[in-house]
Amino acid sequence: MFTKTPDLPIASMEELFELSAFLHKEARLLDEERFEEWLEMLHEEIHYWMPGIENRRRENPLKEGFYDKDHMAYFDDRMRDLQRRVARFRQPSAWAENPATRNVHIISNVEAFIAPEADTYMVCSTFTSIRSRGLDEEYVIYGRRYDRIQRTEGGLKLLKRLILIPNATLSCKNINTFL
Amino acid sequence: MSNIIKTLDVTDALPNLKKVCNLDEGRISGEIFYSQEIYEQELEKVFARCWLFVAHESQLVKTGDYITTTMGEDEVIVVRQKNGSIKVFLNACPHRGNKVCFSESGSTRGFICNYHGWSFDTAGNLVGQHESGIYEASEFDKSKWGLKEVAQVDSYKGLVFATFDPEAPSLKEYLGPMTWYLDALFDNQEGGTEFVGGCIRSTYECNWKIAAENFVGDILHAGWTHDSAARAMLGGAVAKVSDFPESYSVNWNGHGYEFALDTVGNVAVLGESKLNRYVHTIKPSVAERLGEFRSNMIASVSSATIFPNFSFLPGQNTVRVWQPRGPNKIELFTWVVVNKSAPEEIKEMWRKGAMMTFSPTGVFEMDDGENWEYCTKTAKGKVTAKQDLFVGLGMDTLLEETPLPGNVYEGQLNEANSRAFYQYWFDLLNAKSWTEVPNRNKGKAEAE
Ligand code: FES
Ligand SMILES: [Fe+2]
Repeated sequence: MFTKTPDLPIASMEELFELSAFLHKEARLLDEERFEEWLEMLHEEIHYWMPGIENRRRENPLKEGFYDKDHMAYFDDRMRDLQRRVARFRQPSAWAENPATRNVHIISNVEAFIAPEADTYMVCSTFTSIRSRGLDEEYVIYGRRYDRIQRTEGGLKLLKRLILIPNATLSCKNINTFL
Repeated sequence: MSNIIKTLDVTDALPNLKKVCNLDEGRISGEIFYSQEIYEQELEKVFARCWLFVAHESQLVKTGDYITTTMGEDEVIVVRQKNGSIKVFLNACPHRGNKVCFSESGSTRGFICNYHGWSFDTAGNLVGQHESGIYEASEFDKSKWGLKEVAQVDSYKGLVFATFDPEAPSLKEYLGPMTWYLDALFDNQEGGTEFVGGCIRSTYECNWKIAAENFVGDILHAGWTHDSAARAMLGGAVAKVSDFPESYSVNWNGHGYEFALDTVGNVAVLGESKLNRYVHTIKPSVAERLGEFRSNMIASVSSATIFPNFSFLPGQNTVRVWQPRGPNKIELFTWVVVNKSAPEEIKEMWRKGAMMTFSPTGVFEMDDGENWEYCTKTAKGKVTAKQDLFVGLGMDTLLEETPLPGNVYEGQLNEANSRAFYQYWFDLLNAKSWTEVPNRNKGKAEAE
């Protein structure tokens, strides 16, 4: 979509299967509000980044085209920040989470490559996040993700995630989920 | 000049408007958040007349730097001129009305319309057309068909405002003594402020006034609404505002600023001790620059709205415009403001901190959106919309003997600013001209 994926060697069928299962599990944990277990799937050095998308002319691009690492973002988080977000979800006084938001995360277009860093994969995927709140609120966000997933002693861990949505204006009031 | 926009013929006030609020009695009704009829009047009598925030000067550094935004629902281009001034144009081609500039920001030598190729320089002059020869045959006068220019543009400490109305009072008069308070955030260091890059836009299904009013003077909600976020960020509850020894609500012409004097209450919720330290470090120089009093306001528990829809939080340093998109919808544009002179590391922490707390993913903002949407949506019910809503806290709290400028009320847990906001809104909807807007200011117009 926006980022030209570098040419990297393709992971094996077995690795692709394992990495897909990792992403699917992650999506299910989020749908089931198992945030602490979700945090366990993340590398302690995680960079979880969802830049704001800016509507710019082609001859006037930002550093990365439609986004820029120094510009505003939806998420530009490290582990501490993600833990804080989870902590808010867990407060009994998170009024806007009760009744609960009902989530479905759909992951598709999974491709896996061998990243240049040791024991690391570059995994591309697309997602659809559907949330419903109250009786009739429904929000759908979709986009593309570029992940770095590392094999560690504790199993596969998500080390980096870049989330790109096509929208320059978010069509809903918030993103009270992870993507 | 012929390219200045035509202003609207002002229609009569709605006949039954008197019923929707009575601020002396401290009541409004939900109807003002849901009525299409009232909304149409607002576009004409509020947004087509008032000074509206359009840009920060730091977004327009060089000649030809531009951003696009809206004034009410009218799309505009804000562009830096050769002589350093800033002009604002309707983002609509004078030929058939097509949108001229589609990008949200950039740098250019001019704008070319996609439809029939009319091209404009950055001063808005029509400089060429595709098939220009045939226009000459029709004795076309190019000088009359430039981009339509907004009547007045002015800025205060980097904040650029514009109004469609040539009759509107000057920006200085419009802001009045609120500028004295704006300085606490926008002029507390040499060099002033800048926006960090980018703008986050999101959509709420709420009326613009409920959001603007929240920032004009509703700290009351914070301790309750934001309990979960405070606990997540600080590990404890929001500071108990009623415990502050000294706090104020100040308003003027419908603008309002509510604040405590605790210096760091707002910045503290970003959970970055370095930011708290930065505020403490600059505080003595702020005291020298602005006086002891305002040095306590740099990042204190506070919020403000400049009427009608420009708001900010000192300390979290989020700056925003609630763009009206119908009676029950807004687009929220947010930016992050920092001191130009701040170290890069500090600017970066503010960029992330503002986003972590007050943005569509912000742990604080999440609980606001829900409230504002349902304050709006309940008024869909015809009966519900006609019921009184209470806005009567702090009726007798005006401070007559105070050195502070503006209409100064005691305590920030007070609905005085909210009443003043709705009163000014009500007065504008009833006034056919600026001279008919009653002057309800009671305090000092200038600081002593
Ligand atoms: S509409 Fe712009 S050139 Fe015709
Ligand atoms: Fe709030």
